[in-house]
Amino acid sequence: MNVHALPQDVVDTAIAWAVRLDYNDAAEDVRAAFSRWLQSDPSHALAWQRVESLRQPFAAVPPQIVRGTLEAADVLRERRTEGRRGALKLLSAAGLSLGAGWIAREHAPWQRLLADVSTATGEQKTLRLADGTVILLNTDSAVSADMTSERRVVAVRRGEVLITTGKDAQSPLKRPFWVETPYGRMQALGTRFTVRLAEDGARVSVQEGAVELHPAAGGASHVVSPDESRWLRHDRTEPADLRGFEADGWSDGVIAGKNIRLGDLLDELARYRTGRIEYDRRVADLRLSGLFHVRNTDQALQFLVQTQPISVRMRTRFWVLVGPEEKD
Amino acid sequence: MSAAELALQQEVHDLYSDHHGWLCGWLRRRLSSSFDAADLAQDVFMRLLARQRPVEAREPRAFLSTIAHGLVVEHWRRRELEQAWLETLAAMPQAQEISPESRLIFLETLLEIDRMLDALKPPVRTAFLLAQLDGLTCPQIALRLGVSLATVERYIARALRGCYAVRFGP
Repeated sequence: MNVHALPQDVVDTAIAWAVRLDYNDAAEDVRAAFSRWLQSDPSHALAWQRVESLRQPFAAVPPQIVRGTLEAADVLRERRTEGRRGALKLLSAAGLSLGAGWIAREHAPWQRLLADVSTATGEQKTLRLADGTVILLNTDSAVSADMTSERRVVAVRRGEVLITTGKDAQSPLKRPFWVETPYGRMQALGTRFTVRLAEDGARVSVQEGAVELHPAAGGASHVVSPDESRWLRHDRTEPADLRGFEADGWSDGVIAGKNIRLGDLLDELARYRTGRIEYDRRVADLRLSGLFHVRNTDQALQFLVQTQPISVRMRTRFWVLVGPEEKD
Repeated sequence: MSAAELALQQEVHDLYSDHHGWLCGWLRRRLSSSFDAADLAQDVFMRLLARQRPVEAREPRAFLSTIAHGLVVEHWRRRELEQAWLETLAAMPQAQEISPESRLIFLETLLEIDRMLDALKPPVRTAFLLAQLDGLTCPQIALRLGVSLATVERYIARALRGCYAVRFGP
């Protein structure tokens, strides 16, 4: 390139100023300090001018065209890379969860553009979107969000989320709110609801408002009402049995259930732990009720030993065996 | 013309007569059109002529195909962006009102944006686009992405450094 090269540290300083002035609400004293820096050396002014010029192309084209074009280009490029990795694609399609992920990618081009937010095992995270929507991610979960001028779309890629949709007060028209899953999409109609991905469907539980389910393969749509739970499968919807569990207990940090099977409870607890919990068939059908903290599953297991006729052995920290009480 | 420039010209001339046919074949296998292949082969030699230093390639074909490979990648990127741009226009009813001159300027600008963003890692790119396209400030982006303010500021600085390198050289 045929331009006068500037020292890297001058360029870096100009960039640091740009971050403070152009991408933050800068205070008056920051501006004063900046103007002293700018005038202290001719190379500073040149560096500043160049850094500022980087923003020009973005201002020259309407933002929705830039975004639309970049998203569409991402899809085309992904398709080309995938073509080259045809063999790999076949392999991953053989595994159900990977295959489903693949479908989700093909149908959701903007995923690469907008960063995924994800949680590790045992972690929960709150995500606030510009329209006022709040998304709580449960353990081992991932979502991406895309807000365009016409619609709001949240894709659940892994795990479980609690979505409380925002009023979208700043948008001139009330934009529809969609949730994408590998099994189909759903439209939220002013609402609070949970979505949980399983191997063969997405389970939706509505606490307030309503959610309309649309299976990916085009089966009949269905509106889910408050206190109702339903499976969104690839080609249909059907009622979901929560087996005594509360759908959104985890948002308060607990697994809450009435007359639940111990086996089901252990499966739930396992989601919040690294490693596995195995249990003996003889104890799986024991029934119990209560609250179990998801942030301290060791304690929950200990509590179970004290209150149920069971024993818990830890083969390693990551491998827990639950069996009948050991009589001595 | 200086002696060095003359030497370079002679060198490129020799490379051209020995390997141009081979290079066209190499490119044809990677591009769908033989016209594009001929154009890109021409570009390869033009690049060589623009150099300040002599070529002195010990493995001329490996050397030429390295340059050609870069051009092929660039060629596809451009093609894909053009197609993406056309798809975007087709999906926008108000696009009818954009004049042909503006369309040309928009496309050139989009190509430049695409080049600037190419090397950025996805989270850096996401944060940068939220700032540039949606006008969000760093604290707003931090909230939106669920990361710390310091992380967002680092992303923006990294994006600006990347764009600077594309435009003004490292």
